[in-house]
Amino acid sequence: MDMSPYRDLFVSESRTHIATFGELIVRLEDSPAESAVIDELFRHAHSLKGMAATMGYDQIVAIAHYMEDLLSRVRSDEFLLLPPLADLLLEGSDALARLVEGVEAGTDSGEDTSRLVERMASFDPAAEYQPHHPATFSGSGTEIPPESPLLDLHQFRQSDSFKSIRIKTETLDHLVNITGELITNRYRLKEAVRLSDAAESQESLRQLSALLHNLRDEVFKARMLPFAFIAERFPRLVRDLARKQGKEIHFQLFGKEIELDRGILEDIAEPIVHILRNAIDHGMEAADERVMAGKPGSGTITLTVRRDKDHVEISIDDDGRGMDPELLKQKGVEKGMLSPEQSAKMTPQEAYQLICQPGFSTAATVTDISGRGVGMDAVRETVQSLSGSLTIQSQRGSGSRFVMRLPITVSIIPALIVQSGPIEIAFPLNVVSRTVELEASEIIYESGRPAFILGDTALPIRSLRQAFNLLPAPGPESNPQSVIVCDVGSSPAFSVDRIVSQQEIFVRPLRTPLSHLKGVSGATITGDGRVLFVADAGALA
Amino acid sequence: MKPTVMIVDDSIFMRKILHGILVEQGYLVIAEAASGIEAMKNLHTNHPDVILLDIILPDSNGLDLLVEMVAVYPKSKVVVCSSIGQPLIIQKTLDLGASAFIQKPFTPESIAEVLQKLRD
Repeated sequence: MDMSPYRDLFVSESRTHIATFGELIVRLEDSPAESAVIDELFRHAHSLKGMAATMGYDQIVAIAHYMEDLLSRVRSDEFLLLPPLADLLLEGSDALARLVEGVEAGTDSGEDTSRLVERMASFDPAAEYQPHHPATFSGSGTEIPPESPLLDLHQFRQSDSFKSIRIKTETLDHLVNITGELITNRYRLKEAVRLSDAAESQESLRQLSALLHNLRDEVFKARMLPFAFIAERFPRLVRDLARKQGKEIHFQLFGKEIELDRGILEDIAEPIVHILRNAIDHGMEAADERVMAGKPGSGTITLTVRRDKDHVEISIDDDGRGMDPELLKQKGVEKGMLSPEQSAKMTPQEAYQLICQPGFSTAATVTDISGRGVGMDAVRETVQSLSGSLTIQSQRGSGSRFVMRLPITVSIIPALIVQSGPIEIAFPLNVVSRTVELEASEIIYESGRPAFILGDTALPIRSLRQAFNLLPAPGPESNPQSVIVCDVGSSPAFSVDRIVSQQEIFVRPLRTPLSHLKGVSGATITGDGRVLFVADAGALA
Repeated sequence: MKPTVMIVDDSIFMRKILHGILVEQGYLVIAEAASGIEAMKNLHTNHPDVILLDIILPDSNGLDLLVEMVAVYPKSKVVVCSSIGQPLIIQKTLDLGASAFIQKPFTPESIAEVLQKLRD
């Protein structure tokens, strides 16, 4: 019988089994008494075995068989599902995942699984079980290699998993209906123009706009995916890293059903992994240190996704040691990133943001405090490139919280179009906190540089020309002068020649070599067919 | 008239393969179910001549389901289809009222053979 028509189905269904299997193992380690979970694990291994046997994939059959066998022995109370067995089962499910990938690619992975099968067949819990001793944490000077090999296991194969998406049939139906109505409307408009019936054209145009609006909404919906799409791997990641560090960490995930644009999901996975890693490596104390501090020996990391109108908030909380703003400031001064005066004025919130400065911390100087900085500059950069924001809160001794606030979709955004000399450029409206018209008398000069008073601070003004390394304007500055103030960086006020308009733009990503341009994050095509760049205010400020 | 079949298996993959084989052999697949509840719901509305039943299902014990099916619709013949091949289990399903047992992995021939025996 020709089985090839069933291969895709085999691959997708196997993947679901393997993914669920991994999640369940991790859950079971938290509460080993759940016999229903063991039954379910057994069922996944069993189904996979049956499917692989039908397709004739013997390597998969062998591994699934022994996984099933080990689980049936757990089920009959021959032994418990303790960490060594969980490790072996996870190793098995990883091997299965690779084999299924080989099936999908149509290539033999060439992987030798006989040793794994042998280890499963001869598994002896008595010989393997070592009481779990959390490694003692020496405080400062604990060197964590910047790229531990463990991370490789969790490298996201985004390019594969994001290539195709499942769309609700209902959403597609809506798209079809709206398209149908648009076509009808186009004929109506054509007819009205032919008869040049102004009122009828107007009405038809109004309808066309409304339909286009609906179409846009539906297309957006089709791009939405639940957060769970990237979250499946997090429990496993936390578990593996914690075990490697000899720490006990309980991981909670809330709100995984909340939907985001797939592009945003794709970009945000890596930053979340960074923050989780940092929380496990540096934020969380070892069990004995926690107990000494009067906390439960096992730490908790909570990942929560919340919807707030057209934004999503992803927060990662740990109940670890927290950060000391004074030490962070001190380090910032030592590194020459800020003056002692600036440091004195800094709020704790601003001090925590220091860890997102490039070069604030490197893996080589990891300590219990500065170690937080590994990769955080990359995290903030990614969040900002998605027009989002990152806030950090911390309480010494009781933990830290990282909150990423992101728009639900990024493709179409409201923007402010401004013009400065030869350039016309779009600023995403969500980074513009205000626009001001300044009379010449309102502009003050601090050390020869223009500034203006906003609230109780003097905000230096940079001309947008200057920010883009263009020559200064030939004539006198216009009066009043338009200034836009952005919600980013340390010098966020830009003077422009004029504010052209506010409109919704469809942002397209830039490809090499344009993607290397500093200060722009994308491009858009205007109604009259011109290409405008979209400003990356964070990079300009 | 073609004999009618209901396939009960939580794997879409398995259901599609069985569907393909059965259609090729002249059966009419009138229902597919992925769970015990779905299977019973379907059984109440369609009364298939044959039920192909996987006994490991997410929501119910397949053996209990087998007993319920035989009790409610004794005219439908239940063929248990499983990769659990221990003789004790096979005998138990037959004792509980199954008309036959198909060992997974199956081939089109093994299915044809078992179903033909049922019709004879």
